[in-house]
Amino acid sequence: MQTLISGFRTTLSNILNNKQTFLLSVATITIAISILGLFLLLFFNLNGLLSNWNRQVQLIVYLDDDITVSQKEILEGLISNNQHVESTTEVSRETAWAEFQSNISDNLKPLLSLEFNPLPGSYKIRFRSSDNQLPHIRELSETLETQQGVESIQYGEEWITRFEKFMVFSKIFLFAIGGLLSLGLILIISNTIRLSIYSRQDEIELMLLIGATPTFVKIPFLLEGMIQGLAGSVLALFLIGGVHYYLKSEFQSSIDSMGMDFQFIAEPFLFGLIGLSVLVGLMASYISTFQFLYLLNKK
Amino acid sequence: MIQIFNVVKMYDGSNPVLDNISLEIPKGEFVFLTGPSGAGKTTILKILFGWESFEKGQVLVKGINVGKLTHRNVYTLRRSMGVVFQDYKLLPNKTVFENVSFAQEVIGHDRKTIRFKTWEALKNVGLTPKKDAYPAYLSGGEQQRVAIARAMVNSPAIILADEPTGNLDPDISFEILKLFEELNQKGSTIIFATHSQEIMKVGNHRVISLNRGKVVAS
Repeated sequence: MQTLISGFRTTLSNILNNKQTFLLSVATITIAISILGLFLLLFFNLNGLLSNWNRQVQLIVYLDDDITVSQKEILEGLISNNQHVESTTEVSRETAWAEFQSNISDNLKPLLSLEFNPLPGSYKIRFRSSDNQLPHIRELSETLETQQGVESIQYGEEWITRFEKFMVFSKIFLFAIGGLLSLGLILIISNTIRLSIYSRQDEIELMLLIGATPTFVKIPFLLEGMIQGLAGSVLALFLIGGVHYYLKSEFQSSIDSMGMDFQFIAEPFLFGLIGLSVLVGLMASYISTFQFLYLLNKK
Repeated sequence: MIQIFNVVKMYDGSNPVLDNISLEIPKGEFVFLTGPSGAGKTTILKILFGWESFEKGQVLVKGINVGKLTHRNVYTLRRSMGVVFQDYKLLPNKTVFENVSFAQEVIGHDRKTIRFKTWEALKNVGLTPKKDAYPAYLSGGEQQRVAIARAMVNSPAIILADEPTGNLDPDISFEILKLFEELNQKGSTIIFATHSQEIMKVGNHRVISLNRGKVVAS
């Protein structure tokens, strides 16, 4: 405990004596964590968009023209027994044709002179709102597809799958960026700490000469690295918060109609960013102190 | 207290700085270590406090086999010693009081003990009036007295002094010698490296002479 208190005192005095280097290092961390945080913010909002679209997805089951009553009953039974289904609307061939006629543009009016109704009857199925409803839709779709009397099924799977793939790519990209930035930060912080160590080289040698343990020597530098990480990440979060506030106040009204909201980074990820930054600071300073003491002990 | 058996130390792998040296210094003795520059005085002291390794031989300090110590546990050896250097090695950004108390902070003493022992050490070297001064504002003799206070503050069994009077006038040097003799009378074993004949004459203690890494007289 005494070692830790003394370590804190030394750390503070180190920071005050090397303010410029410390601030430079904190600024670098702030920039790097801000970049990572902004990517995370973008990712969260794209994910929110996907969830929103997911919630709006409905399954349309197109029926054969010659579907029998019993086949319809089986289908209705399968749909109503599915616990994820919120509502089902049956659209008869006649209703579909009437809707088509009322919605059609003037250029396509000649089609209305057809002497038969080309449109099939259908069921429009809405699912209960959840972030994870796509698998339920897929499941019911696969069940219904094999039933007799079903002509085809549609729920915009193709573009949702494509968007999901994009999100997987975004996740990988985010991890890669995170990894590269962390590596860069480790190099930068370890160099800053190295400068701090060399500026106190005489003091460290004296500490070792008069019986300090290697841990006692390392603690102030490890704390300094951690404080740099903490300060840098907190500043970065304020910066990202500012960007989020600006976007929300300027553009929220534009996305209101889509039922969306500009989301901020979720709490666990916020703490994750801070934790990552502190860990990077700790690792970087550990590398520098380890190298310095290793070279000193090689004599 | 200190036993050195057939120690060989080489810096470049060919020319030995210490060439098969053997020495014995009993507990409570005051010994002058002398010889021309490059004779190996500083190297012996550095080996004794575990700052330098050596190629051959054995070194026992208070029963501790120095050659077997690793950088993780060498501090146990160093805590039983006080070291004084020719260039004082004081921290310029700390006051006299802080420089002396620093030696206790690093070994984890509580603040009350630190304050008490630092005060005692400064009183013994006559520097209490200058306790708040920074090293840059002290004379060479005063700076060396601070270094001695720092070396003695943890009541070490052994004090190693590497040319402690090398930068000082003769009168001041004798005062410094007197301080070491007082520490010796209190029970510390002293190894005092010097090439000053006057100091050795005034001190009248056993002299170990080195030349080119060998003991030439003891």
